[in-house]
Amino acid sequence: MQRDSFSVSIENLPDSPMGSNKKMNKVFDKMTQWVTPWRSNSESPRERMILRGDVEQDEFQYASSHCLSSYYSVFVVRLAIMVMLAILIGLLTILTWHFTRIYTKQSLQTLAYGLRYELLQRPILRMWSVLNTTSELTTAQVKLSEYVIRKYDKPTTQEELVEMYQAMKDVTWTLFASAKALNAITINYRNGFVQAFHRDTTTSSTFYIFSDLKNYSISGTGPKDVNGWNNQTIHGNMSAIWYQQQLDPVTGAMLGKPRRIPPDDLISIAGISQVPDGEASWHVTVSKYMDSPLLSAALPVFDASNKSIVAVVGVTTALYSVGQLMRDLVEVHGGHIYLTSQEGYLLATSTNGPLLRNTSKGPKLMKATDSEEWAIKTGAQWLQKTYGNNLPHVVHAENARLGDQQYYIDSFYLNLKRLPIIGVVIIPRKFIMGKVDERAFKTLVILISASVCIFFIGCVCILILTNGVSKEMKLRAELIRQLDARRRAEASSNYKSQFLANMSHELRTPMAAVIGLLDILISDDCLSNEQYATVTQIRKCSTALLRLLNNILDLSKVESGKLVLEEAEFDLGRELEGLVDMFSVQCINHNVETVLDLSDDMPALVRGDSARLVQIFANLISNSIKFTTTGHIILRGWCENMNPLHDEMSLNVDRKKPLAPMKTKLVQHRNHFQKSCKNANKMVLWFEVDDTGCGIDPSKWDSVFESFEQADPSTTRTHGGTGLGLCIVRNLVNKMGGEIKVVQKNGLGTLMRLYLILSIPDTVEQNLQPDFSKYGLVVLLSMYGSTARRITSKWLRKHGIATVEASDWNELTQIIRDLLETGSRDNSFDSQHNIADSLRAELSTIQEIENPVFVIMVDIGVLDLTTDIWKEQLNYLDRFSGKAKFAWLLKHDTSNTVKTELRRKGHVMMVNKPLYKAKMIQILEAVIKNRKRGLCNGIRNRGNGSDESHDCLEIDPTHYDTCSSDDSSETSGEKEGDKPVKSSTLLSPVLKNYLIDTTNRNDDSTSASMTRKNTEEEDWKDRNNRLYSGIALDGKNPKSLEGIRILLAEDTPVLQRVATIMLEKMGATVTAVGDGQQAVDLLNFRSINAQDSTQEQKSSEEETNVNPQSSSRYSSPYDLILMDCQMPKMDGYEATKAIRRAEIGTGLHVPIVALTAHAMSSDEAKCLEVGMDAYLTKPIDRKLMVSTILSLTKPSTLVTSYSA
Amino acid sequence: MGLVKMQKSLQDYTKSLFLEGILDSQFLQLQQLQDESNPDFVSQVVTLFFQDSDRILNDLSLSLDQQVVDFKKVDPHVHQLKGSSSSIGAQRVKNACVVFRNFCEQQNIEACHRWLQQVKQEYYLVKNRLETLFKLEQQIVASGGMIVAFEPGF
Repeated sequence: MQRDSFSVSIENLPDSPMGSNKKMNKVFDKMTQWVTPWRSNSESPRERMILRGDVEQDEFQYASSHCLSSYYSVFVVRLAIMVMLAILIGLLTILTWHFTRIYTKQSLQTLAYGLRYELLQRPILRMWSVLNTTSELTTAQVKLSEYVIRKYDKPTTQEELVEMYQAMKDVTWTLFASAKALNAITINYRNGFVQAFHRDTTTSSTFYIFSDLKNYSISGTGPKDVNGWNNQTIHGNMSAIWYQQQLDPVTGAMLGKPRRIPPDDLISIAGISQVPDGEASWHVTVSKYMDSPLLSAALPVFDASNKSIVAVVGVTTALYSVGQLMRDLVEVHGGHIYLTSQEGYLLATSTNGPLLRNTSKGPKLMKATDSEEWAIKTGAQWLQKTYGNNLPHVVHAENARLGDQQYYIDSFYLNLKRLPIIGVVIIPRKFIMGKVDERAFKTLVILISASVCIFFIGCVCILILTNGVSKEMKLRAELIRQLDARRRAEASSNYKSQFLANMSHELRTPMAAVIGLLDILISDDCLSNEQYATVTQIRKCSTALLRLLNNILDLSKVESGKLVLEEAEFDLGRELEGLVDMFSVQCINHNVETVLDLSDDMPALVRGDSARLVQIFANLISNSIKFTTTGHIILRGWCENMNPLHDEMSLNVDRKKPLAPMKTKLVQHRNHFQKSCKNANKMVLWFEVDDTGCGIDPSKWDSVFESFEQADPSTTRTHGGTGLGLCIVRNLVNKMGGEIKVVQKNGLGTLMRLYLILSIPDTVEQNLQPDFSKYGLVVLLSMYGSTARRITSKWLRKHGIATVEASDWNELTQIIRDLLETGSRDNSFDSQHNIADSLRAELSTIQEIENPVFVIMVDIGVLDLTTDIWKEQLNYLDRFSGKAKFAWLLKHDTSNTVKTELRRKGHVMMVNKPLYKAKMIQILEAVIKNRKRGLCNGIRNRGNGSDESHDCLEIDPTHYDTCSSDDSSETSGEKEGDKPVKSSTLLSPVLKNYLIDTTNRNDDSTSASMTRKNTEEEDWKDRNNRLYSGIALDGKNPKSLEGIRILLAEDTPVLQRVATIMLEKMGATVTAVGDGQQAVDLLNFRSINAQDSTQEQKSSEEETNVNPQSSSRYSSPYDLILMDCQMPKMDGYEATKAIRRAEIGTGLHVPIVALTAHAMSSDEAKCLEVGMDAYLTKPIDRKLMVSTILSLTKPSTLVTSYSA
Repeated sequence: MGLVKMQKSLQDYTKSLFLEGILDSQFLQLQQLQDESNPDFVSQVVTLFFQDSDRILNDLSLSLDQQVVDFKKVDPHVHQLKGSSSSIGAQRVKNACVVFRNFCEQQNIEACHRWLQQVKQEYYLVKNRLETLFKLEQQIVASGGMIVAFEPGF
């Protein structure tokens, strides 16, 4: 491009291309110089990097090539900008140059044209004037001659004739003398006599030339005798004698004698031949006295009658003066002018060159093309060459090349009738345009150099500007590389977790083997005690290791996004209670109180992943336990309604403050929820795990949730752990749409606050809180741990139950005495100074209550168990057992002796610590119930004992120590006992029913002295029953599928067997087939049979059918088909299609339930598409299967089956 | 060894099976299905599973050793194994089958071979463990004890 633009402008400058090429080369050199440093820059780090690993090198090469390409792109952009600049500047240059030059040239040419025109016009005008002068003189001469001749009309005598001639001579002289420009005047008389005056310019002398009169008749020839004119008389007639007399040029006086001259020296004399038609005539002649052509005019002189020509007057004018003029004119311009006749003979030129040719016959006129002057000659030749002989009248040629120069050639045509004249001006171009061209060249040079300068400056500017840009681009490239590196790092971290997941999977296998082998070893009974202990220890460690692996797997699962939360209803409170129970065991050992404080508005049932939820809190609480040596761990839970005002009110003051940052986020969440899932019944549940441990440094509040991060690195040594727990917690919480963070708390310890977003099943009535206030209950809380006591009493008071707190034995006894020993009330008041005023006030309000029911909760820790004093204390308390109900809070390790002693004394309400809401409610309910019964039946028998002990088992799901092997079988029995209660989801009502039922049953039984052992065994059996008839728990009817006929198409024998047994257990009649084809065949056969034998069947239905109502469903052989999707021969889809095809027109529709191992929703869609009614995934979940089957078989069946 | 101790160790052993992920809740369902009318139901089904799986694994080995592996044949086998293993609750076999099937779909012969080995490994593991379990149970029954179904506590 640059080259092009330059070469355009260079065309007119023959010497510039080389120079500009050099410049261009320089430009490119410069550019490459600019480029090379980048290259070297980009390569040098690469060399450095080579030292590192191969992988990095590869990656870096990729990155550096990426960089390099970006540099090249910068370079290309720069080049493009420069090229554009060059084009712009080039265009500007060319245009500037063009316009200046063209306009100058044009105006100059216009001027030059005018000049040339003028130049030509003037000689032509001069010529014209010469002609005019000549013509006038001739005419004057003719007139005079006529006059004289008429005066001497018809001279008859010689004298007259001479006189006439003399007169003519005088007249002519006068005329000749007055017109100095005339060369000659001749008068040729009819009779041949000639009179002539002649000026010889070479000698500057004037002559009178005449012929002698000897031979001339006076009369002459008549007018008719025109032919008598004979030129021979002049030139050829040798008889005539010619005389020449020199005259004084001024006076005309004769100087010397006439001299006889030979006719050769004679000047041209106009004869009659020159005026053949009696008109004036013009022609060009030559004379030997003149070196220039002569213009001669001839006019006849008529006689008086105007009929005959008596004489011919000829006037000859030299064209010398025209030539002179022309010479003057063009001298300045260095050009040439010449005039030619039409035939091309030169008349006048601006040069001094000869116009005549000397031939043997005297001088002759010269053609312009033969001119000795080079310019005229070549000019004439050019004209002739260009236009041939048909020269147009006007020619303006501007670029005629003559020789090696350019000329302007202009010609004009002067159209005289008798003597057409052509004028030609030849002016060398350089005399007019030379300066202009020179200027143009200079301008061009200046412009180009200016352009080049601007271009270079521009390039430099561009480089400077783009250097900034390229720096930015370098930075950006760097940034991109960084991002890339980060992405890779993330990927590698992903690989890491993937690796962890895989590894933990791999590790679990040998771990499992180790544990299994250990189990075998443990079960071997030939181990010594020591060995047994060691092996048990190894077993524990292995389990711990396995748990760690599971943690890692969990974490990587969450991180890789593979963890899917299940969505099922569960009792949140119960889960958390179980958790607290579990951890309280550990805590009591640590002398740490575990408290569960759930607000009343917490929903009983929520939907979510209970296992993961429990995992969250288990991790949090175990974390807290780890770091808490004394004090308490509180798990608080409350619920945030969508109404913000309400929850503000429900919050404690200390909760509110640090909540702010999280709350804003929550508000966004809430808005989001309100928008998106108004119907979904989402709820925000807040939880806090509050401990009084060593606390976490505020700077670590965020980082503790990172994996393998611990607040204090030394904790690993003291407390163990990997730092995975909180990370899992955070991941899980986030997964549940919540957030967790450490918040500021007053005093020691850590306060973790989190919220979860869980949906609530809308069908269930939430928050069924019993109303205790009307029973006039008075609760005396005598508990060792202050936190739990405070929280419990607060809750009790909130529910309208009068509560008194006592922290130790002394306080307890005082209060008991106050309340119960009514007789000595006054005394006691006096004696008890140490009772606080507030307490006393409370006591007095309690004493206002009519017919109070006292419930005394006694922590077993209040008793002095170290010595035998506790028995005394027990005896003391026993005194009040008639007036108050005692409920005992036991520790998990409370010895059996204490328990039996308590039981023996009739203290039957025993719960294990910790005490929380649900346990409290149960105790209170039990108390109320007993009281009612007590009111009805009077004195209660001791049957209650077993009843209540049963209670305590039911509501006390403790001892959750998975790897404790030192538990007795009794404990494990207990553990199993409460499991179904815990794990089933629809629990609250069931549990309550169960409680009441057993209570009633035990009430009716008269075995008052039933031992604990018996109770346990019964319980055991009961539990086993429940276990083995699993459905009984929720379905109530173990034979819920009674009478339903099911066709099972399943190819896997295992599954076939399992499903068959499963269904048969529930009372269904099962026909099992191995593939789809069999199912279809069977169905077709049966239905044909059925249709054929409809009547028959109807008649005999009473006897044959187990279920009479099912026959009312017209001729359908099976009530339901369970269809495996993937089977040999004919798969479930095909079979279903076949069955549905067969059903067309019969009005039948056997429900078909797909059994598939594909858990994809697309499979479900496919199943429904082919005409199946429902969809069950393998492995078969019994409950789901039952509910599916029941929903698909007709309601009438249900009714029947229940009634059956 | 006392009956109680044996029962305890059976409990622990069963628990370890669950903890290690060898078995899942499906096995419990099987146990719950066992009653007086079907006293050996679990061992029946499991034996059935062993027979079936032995056959399938044999078939699979044969199919995969072919010059040209017909994945259309391999896949149903794996599927069946997956179905039966999930029915008795052998979840690690099932999981291995899931992966195996993915590779079958990708027609990745090499990976299929690898995962066949994996499946076999898992299968033999569960087989060994279940046999041990049944042996323990038999011991308990032999000494007049009662088999208590295991309830996972987690």
